[in-house]
Amino acid sequence: MADHEPMDAQRLDPAKRAQRQLELLQATLNRVHRAVPFYKDRFMENRTEPGEVESLKDIAKLPFTFRSHLADHYPYGLFAVPLRDIVRIHTAPGLGVHPVVSGYTRQDLSTWKEIVQRGLSASGLAATDILQICLDPGLANWGRDYKDAAEVLGASVIPLTSLSLEKQQMVLSDYKTSVLVTTPTFAAQLAAGLSSSGIHPNELALRSLILVGEPLSRDARTSLEETFGLTAWSQYGLSDVPGPAVAFECEEHEGMHVNEDHFLPEIVDPRTREPVAEGEEGELVLTTLTTRAFPLIRFATGDRMRFIQEPCKCGRTLRRVQWLPGRTDDTAVIRGVKVHHDQILSHVERVLGFVPERFKFRAVQDERASMLEVWMGVDDHLFSDEVKVLEGSVQAVSAALSQELGVPVCVRLKETSQMNGRAGWV
Amino acid sequence: MLEIRNLKCYYGRIRALSGVSLSVDQGEVVSLIGANGSGKSTLLTAISGLLPGWRGELLFEGESLAGLPPQEVVARGISMVPEGRLIFGALSVMDNLRLGAYLRIRKRDHFGVRQDLDKVLSIFPVLKERAGQDAGTLSGGEQQMLAIGRALMAKPRLLLLDEPSMGLAPKVVKQIFSTLSMLRDEGLTILVVEQNAQAALAVADRGYVLETGRMVLTGRAADLLEDEEVKRAYLGKDYAQFTEGRA
Repeated sequence: MADHEPMDAQRLDPAKRAQRQLELLQATLNRVHRAVPFYKDRFMENRTEPGEVESLKDIAKLPFTFRSHLADHYPYGLFAVPLRDIVRIHTAPGLGVHPVVSGYTRQDLSTWKEIVQRGLSASGLAATDILQICLDPGLANWGRDYKDAAEVLGASVIPLTSLSLEKQQMVLSDYKTSVLVTTPTFAAQLAAGLSSSGIHPNELALRSLILVGEPLSRDARTSLEETFGLTAWSQYGLSDVPGPAVAFECEEHEGMHVNEDHFLPEIVDPRTREPVAEGEEGELVLTTLTTRAFPLIRFATGDRMRFIQEPCKCGRTLRRVQWLPGRTDDTAVIRGVKVHHDQILSHVERVLGFVPERFKFRAVQDERASMLEVWMGVDDHLFSDEVKVLEGSVQAVSAALSQELGVPVCVRLKETSQMNGRAGWV
Repeated sequence: MLEIRNLKCYYGRIRALSGVSLSVDQGEVVSLIGANGSGKSTLLTAISGLLPGWRGELLFEGESLAGLPPQEVVARGISMVPEGRLIFGALSVMDNLRLGAYLRIRKRDHFGVRQDLDKVLSIFPVLKERAGQDAGTLSGGEQQMLAIGRALMAKPRLLLLDEPSMGLAPKVVKQIFSTLSMLRDEGLTILVVEQNAQAALAVADRGYVLETGRMVLTGRAADLLEDEEVKRAYLGKDYAQFTEGRA
């Protein structure tokens, strides 16, 4: 396989691409229908079958796959190939007690490598670069995929390791990192941290920021680019399943190109579940076209996007999306890691044996810190006249949540009288 | 060059192809592999106009092939090398080749036919040696070369081959397929249907895997050769092991 793919695949004539996508889609549907009982049943419930998909638009006849379905089939229920073909098993937090387990064949891994390479090449990554990956443990699979792809391109990679902010700064400046893969939140913290630790951004060799996990606002981009004197590149991926760089920014920085030879993107109205008018915003829905081990059919991502209709000046014919802030579901994104309402509740219930009546949580994101903040109302269940017991509960919840979600967590107690409403996001 | 969408073919009431989509670009070699009875040959017979009554879309160079009789399909630039060669055993090698250019001879393109005859004989020197012999006396490999040569005499832009390796010794198979890659290098577009997945994928740019009338896989030929499922099902690995339940 070529290390550097020819640009042809990215500049394919749209009609030809549509033909290829239809071929890949039909083959994928035939495979999942044969090998994954979940999809076969879902198709049957919906009174449809793969043969009814005769055009790309016909995909709307098929049922959606929601995040909640993924963990329901713990551990291997959604695999479309025998286990002996699997060479990597990845675990991500699920919405309930069970995590989401996805698998990759050797072929899947090499496909991902190509997908990520394409995104990295578009951002100008070269063999002379030193690439540092700085992501939370909740995005560990992205860390691996970026590492693998950057190594193929010949860059010197400093892979993902858990280091404190200070240590990351030390590596960044002493190792002469030229490209940093991280989240917009962390990049902002880094900018703030540098100024307080007396390192001037000009002293850094950093020339590119590859920002993942969260949409990048125009203001945040300008501020980062000005602070560091570099170029920022936004990339979009899925953290619970497949991987990073599903869509990537080119040199025009006007939206992200979707890797349409591997994914079929749709944008639907999150309420009616109908496709939105071209160019309108809605929820991004993805169907995998080349994935072997863990195919996804109409996976509702919860991410808000809109298609950009105009062709891109860069010449790539891969359709572009604009990633908008906010979510279409009960999920918050903390340091690039998706945290769902039900996930928090199920882990708290597992630790305490109940969910406090008054229970709130929010994603704290500012320059100093970004974490999940949890407020538990001290009700009759939770109350104890021993401070130690109360502290124990706080610690147990905090430990369980940070362990399971892979993001920093801060748990606080509060008088129930000061809280209102049911459990949920503030 | 060739675009097929949702092709459904029937033998009486039996559906042999259930909505198959496939495409071949100009200058590509594409292999369609699958087990016996998966519908591979059906697809080729539908393209060549030998199996009317199909449904779906079949486009060659942007124009539909619907309703065209076989000779019209040949006139459009598509020639087929049928399964089992189907050469005329009682005719000489040379007459077999000339028959391939039947439509062109009728149009009095004698000069062009003469040129192509020389070219085919230079590709397959053995046919020159056997020019006057009855085709029926040729070996299997030579008959296959004759069948390919005859198809080339129609000056096709797209060559369809149905199981060219069938019944041939591995060495001859190798020879046939290296001829195909040579023809591709000269600009011919090729769609080859094969049970011998190894040989067919080795020379192809892309491949498709057909299973009981449905397409289950498509991709770069190099990737398909490495694919565990393809290896088990079509590259001589144990099929029973593959069908064992998942854990």
